[in-house]
Amino acid sequence: MATAEAAQRFIGALKEAGVDFVVAVPDINLLELMKALAADPDIEYTPVGREEEGIGICTGGALTGHRVAILMQNGGLLNSCNGLTTTALQFGIPILLLVYYAGDWGDNAFHMLGLVTEPVLQALDIKYQALRDPSTLAQQVRGAVTVAEASKRPVALLVTRAVL
Amino acid sequence: MKRKEALDAIKELVGDAFVVTTAGGATVEWHAVRPSDGNLQAKTLGLCSSIGLGLALGQPDRKVIVLDGDGALWMNLSSLGTIGWKQPRNLVHICMDNTVYESSGGTPTVSSARMNFAALARAAGIESAVEASTPEAFAAAVAHALGSDGPHFIWCRIEQGRANVPPFPYDELENKYRFIRFVEETTGKRIIQPPIPHSYEGTLRRAAESGSSA
Repeated sequence: MATAEAAQRFIGALKEAGVDFVVAVPDINLLELMKALAADPDIEYTPVGREEEGIGICTGGALTGHRVAILMQNGGLLNSCNGLTTTALQFGIPILLLVYYAGDWGDNAFHMLGLVTEPVLQALDIKYQALRDPSTLAQQVRGAVTVAEASKRPVALLVTRAVL
Repeated sequence: MKRKEALDAIKELVGDAFVVTTAGGATVEWHAVRPSDGNLQAKTLGLCSSIGLGLALGQPDRKVIVLDGDGALWMNLSSLGTIGWKQPRNLVHICMDNTVYESSGGTPTVSSARMNFAALARAAGIESAVEASTPEAFAAAVAHALGSDGPHFIWCRIEQGRANVPPFPYDELENKYRFIRFVEETTGKRIIQPPIPHSYEGTLRRAAESGSSA
């Protein structure tokens, strides 16, 4: 069960990595994190109707000098594939993709999403790793943002219930 | 009204506003009419309005103009709701509506039937939503939008057909870098960070320890 404490830890990791611009589409497991982001005065936060819209908004944020992230379920990753390809990858835009990993090991919901998530990221040539340990969360977020900024590409962190 | 007539009517009004254009005629005609590094092409059908919203949120003290199309807007209709929700005061969203997917061969869009995009924008919470069918009315609407707080939506109804202008001169990467440099030069921000090789780490650490700059 996601907790407010875990959400604050997550936001702390994002801020420490310089992320100040976030868009999001809900998943029940992201609820506490989204509530905390919406209430945070230091983060420009935009809830969107469809994830690909968020890739466009993040692109505009990145082009005006912000470190940007999109928070979504892996179903949303699939919804975003064209925007990721013909905007984020084609223009070379650093975006932190925070992808809730539905259908992960031990998760009985959306098993088909769980099955295709990593192959889709591999096919898009998007570097990724899973967040499974609260004690390494900040380091992993920092590392992902560094790689996104250096490579000027989207980078994905697969968010599991262990860190929420 | 032809699209280029409409664009010619506003080219002197936009100043140093950021301008995002949907792929196809809007991109090439606008860049021919007002060449600038502040012009950014959108390549993903539909994302023009969202990229513009991101620019507007990311740089709230600057006007952002979106030159969208009817097919593109129809693909990303949720962006209207998001703009209505966020109420960016600096965003001017223009839909150049020729009722067809012109770049894809000219098949009709939803706008060829009964769609009223201005009414849709208003329903989404964008109170300043107007229709323009002549260059004079369009220029007046854009002048009003650039001179007052928004968000603004302008439904610009144009004829079909692309003007005889050259292709957009930059690939996506060059367009991006030029655009970011334009943002840097006109805002004073520093956005592109040079990569620091590991061989500089010692130099930087010593500079930090001694309190001087590297």
